[in-house]
Amino acid sequence: MEGRIEQHPILQFKRKKKIKFYFEDREIEAFEGETVAAALHAAGIRVLRHTPNLGRPAGLFCAIGKCSSCLMEIDGIPNVRSCMTKVKEGMRVRRQKGKGDVL
Amino acid sequence: MKSNASVVIIGGGIIGTSIAFNLAKLGVKDVVVFEKSYISSGSTGRCGGGIRQQWTSPMNVRLAMRSVELFKRFKEDVGMDIEYYQGGYLLLAYDEKEMADFENNVKIQKNEGLDVELVTPKEIHEKFPFMDLEGVVGGTWCPSDGHANPQIANIAYALKIKEMGVDLNTHTEVKGIDVQNGKIVGVETDKGYVKTNVVVNAAGGFSHEVGKMAGVDIPTYSERHQILVTEAINHVLDPMVISFKKNYYVRQTMHGSFIMGQSDKEPARGNDLGHTVEFLEEMAPKMVHDFPFMNHLHIVRQWSGAYNVSPDAQPIIDEADNISRFIFAVGFSGHGFMLAPAVGEAVAEMVVYGKSKTMDISNLKMERFKGKKISKERNVV
Amino acid sequence: MNLYQAVIIGGGPAGMMGAITLGNHGVKTIILDENESIGGQLVKQTHKFFGDHAHYASTRGFEIAQKLDEEISKNKNIEVENNATVIGIYPNNTVVYTKDGQEHKIQAKKILIATGAMEKQLPFINSDLPGVYGAGAVQTLMNEYGIMPGKRFLIIGSGNIGLILAYQLIQAGVEVRAIVEALGKVGGYDVHANKVKRLGVPILLNHTIVKAIGDESVQGAIIAKIDDKFQTIPGTEREMVVDTIAISVGLTPLTELAEQAGCKVEFIPELGGYVPIRDERMRTTNPDVFIAGDLSSIEEATTAMIEGKIAALEMARDINGSDTKEEIEEELRTLALFRSGPKSVKIRSGLEKMGIKISIPTKPIINEKKEDVIGKLRAVLECDEEIPCNSCEASCPFGAIHIGENLNSTPVLDAEKCTGCGTCVNACPGLAIFMMKENEEESTVTLGIPYELLPLPEKGQKMWGLSKEGNYVCDVTVERVVKYPNKTNIVYAKFPIEFKDTVRHFAFPKKESPIVCRCEEVSLEQIEKVIDSGVTDFEEIKRLTRVTMGPCGGKNCKLVVLGILSRKTGVPISKLSHGTSRPPVKPVEFSVFKKGGDDK
Repeated sequence: MEGRIEQHPILQFKRKKKIKFYFEDREIEAFEGETVAAALHAAGIRVLRHTPNLGRPAGLFCAIGKCSSCLMEIDGIPNVRSCMTKVKEGMRVRRQKGKGDVL
Repeated sequence: MKSNASVVIIGGGIIGTSIAFNLAKLGVKDVVVFEKSYISSGSTGRCGGGIRQQWTSPMNVRLAMRSVELFKRFKEDVGMDIEYYQGGYLLLAYDEKEMADFENNVKIQKNEGLDVELVTPKEIHEKFPFMDLEGVVGGTWCPSDGHANPQIANIAYALKIKEMGVDLNTHTEVKGIDVQNGKIVGVETDKGYVKTNVVVNAAGGFSHEVGKMAGVDIPTYSERHQILVTEAINHVLDPMVISFKKNYYVRQTMHGSFIMGQSDKEPARGNDLGHTVEFLEEMAPKMVHDFPFMNHLHIVRQWSGAYNVSPDAQPIIDEADNISRFIFAVGFSGHGFMLAPAVGEAVAEMVVYGKSKTMDISNLKMERFKGKKISKERNVV
Repeated sequence: MNLYQAVIIGGGPAGMMGAITLGNHGVKTIILDENESIGGQLVKQTHKFFGDHAHYASTRGFEIAQKLDEEISKNKNIEVENNATVIGIYPNNTVVYTKDGQEHKIQAKKILIATGAMEKQLPFINSDLPGVYGAGAVQTLMNEYGIMPGKRFLIIGSGNIGLILAYQLIQAGVEVRAIVEALGKVGGYDVHANKVKRLGVPILLNHTIVKAIGDESVQGAIIAKIDDKFQTIPGTEREMVVDTIAISVGLTPLTELAEQAGCKVEFIPELGGYVPIRDERMRTTNPDVFIAGDLSSIEEATTAMIEGKIAALEMARDINGSDTKEEIEEELRTLALFRSGPKSVKIRSGLEKMGIKISIPTKPIINEKKEDVIGKLRAVLECDEEIPCNSCEASCPFGAIHIGENLNSTPVLDAEKCTGCGTCVNACPGLAIFMMKENEEESTVTLGIPYELLPLPEKGQKMWGLSKEGNYVCDVTVERVVKYPNKTNIVYAKFPIEFKDTVRHFAFPKKESPIVCRCEEVSLEQIEKVIDSGVTDFEEIKRLTRVTMGPCGGKNCKLVVLGILSRKTGVPISKLSHGTSRPPVKPVEFSVFKKGGDDK
């Protein structure tokens, strides 16, 4: 898979079970334990939402749940921090456009 | 070049190298391959690269399904990424009769365990909204069909067998097969003579000629098929699309270019591989009609290759009955690339064990043509 | 409501060490941590830590986290609640957190807040663009998940985090174009800077980023020189082609919870911004609330662990009357030692503003170098900076390295005692020790360098010898490679003796390879590689690399490719097969043929 480090002089990455989820209806492979943002980065996806006011693209910034840059619509729920949410089998992830809908 | 060989394979295309790979895997030493030009110079390097399991003969379906299993492992087994992609195959039907044929085919294919389905124009449209489906009444869809880069696959096999100890000789042309008292004793090439008792004819477009060298009349001939490739664009088309009625196949490679071809109305026979502008003139309107986005796409290159055709458009895999250990894997009729992994496995087993073990391929013997009605594979472009 | 004697918020180095200390003193303790597992920022740190051996010097950050985690899971007094996000501290020491979408409440006699810090922002044009990350985010993706967010990086800020990040990125196999630093000198330790400089990463001082370029995602950056008032100097702007920008302009403590708990905070820039006021033993203005780690001042994980320990010792005294007085004294002395070097000036002055004075036990000294023994395999210590670390001294089995009482002092080698074993090269967290032996009779020198990159060189290989600034100096030949379990291997190579003081890194020759086939973007190197692998037929080279297969039909590159093939195989071009020319001679649109031909 693109974006994943396969060889490292110091670290060994013990990937868990391979799972599938959907980004904008496109099937993406991930490993259990990865966050949504991490799995999307592994698939080369860095634009995670478009902002409400200026419509600017935004992506991951702090990766530890301390900013709002990575908010996405996950399983129909808007404004979810994709950097703190673990990816799950069959999860439906969308780029959030604007403020997000609850209905 | 070795002077003694346990097996000589004539032809370094995908069939020959796959057989050599499987022989080496079974531990056979001193395998020698002769290729008269470079690797992938023949039909392999000229073909469309489709890997399809939707055939009308159960044998072809089975061979193709086994090949798909092996293509999935190709990178692991052979060690190179060959751009294998399971994007599916979509076959289009244009009238009720053709649709009825398709229904029948799907029954045969499902019977062999293939995941294939009939699709309506609406379903096709939903999958591929960029296609113009005018006149289409339905189709069949097999998601596990796909495609790969045949040239790289061929070279991958070649590099691997060299690593495994096979003596692969390119630019070495076989001039004769030395047969004495019904037994093979050696092979004469333009670079010298090699002693052997086993010869495999995997000569593709030249299978008939190689057969004659041993005095065996193999009922195959070659005909020219033209093909073209476009510039690369971003990925849009997942499957190989085939229309028998309109006479075309098309796919997008992982590199981004589109490869497509047809059967000429009266295909030129032999191995003279020229090309015609009529081919472009015939391809362009139907492709632009069915795929309107191609209108401004650029054609980069056209060429042609030989289908080595057998009477029923199915391969002939057999051992000559009058000459011991003269084996042939020929007559693939335009779909040798996609069957190569399974054929290589089966033929290697024939060489080593006397018969294939993984699959029963006995009905691909030549005797099927003797005085019987020939049941032809119909799914050929 | 669940009652605990102590609750620790944040399971990073400070919180973990606090928990272990409390547990060891019989205090029922719970750690609340927001992540799936504890360890905090340690889990992303692949470099070895400075310090002294009692405090995990020479151990990689993630391994320290593993060790602490093991201790915690063995300790029956400690409970760990993962995936627990504390949302507030309410009256009566009530800590409220959420876990799995559920509210949870606990009460504790004493609270240790160790929530650490977050990265400072640096606004520039398009700094909100995808592809601009905090340095920690890149470390999280890269070192926790093994996912690389880009191929070519620009790093903003040359503090230790920026320098370490650059090194880690190169270890993971991507390119770091530059580190830009607004100040006139490198912010972090020299040894960290030297590590990346000799790998060829320029540190551009007095520079800043002006803007990120890109529509949907970063495609480049404009950087510029700045004057002493940090204003960009017009005309010095230049564009860098990068796809990722990592910002590491410092950290600031996360004080919210402490503030909610009634702890007084003050703005002390030397400590990182707003920090809770606390005493020497980490007690805040709320007597039940203690702090430790980056929340109290932005420092190293080593000092965070000591602070966690001090806070916990004081808490244990409060909670069950443990006699921890002596232990506290001891830890305070250690902490003072860590902070006694010139690198800790800022921390010392910040703490002084809070009324905490560091009494420096002994002044660090720059030890005078002893006479070298030429021609003998020995260590060369290139650590001239007073940083709190004595891992070389502690590692040497023969007592050949001396630092002295204050671990901020610089090390000195007794070359007579040195046996050339290389243990110190392997142990040094700064990768600042080398092995050297002059081979006078053949006018060469053998240099051993610490090597933490892939692929590992092999004996007999030719490599490039690079200078301290990462520039090519001369070719070197690898003599031997000594592998170590901690993955800091030593590569020995030989090269002309005149470069013995210049060469400090070995790299695989990186030829910038010209593009031969423009259509398919195939480089000379790719073509040569295919030929070297044994494919010497032009037709096969073409199929493997796609040269001549693009829209130009090989008009531009075919002769060049044949030339390369001829040069490499010795076969004249005239004897090589050169493929078949196929129509169309120029790419032509399908639309041209749509109506069929028109005979003229």
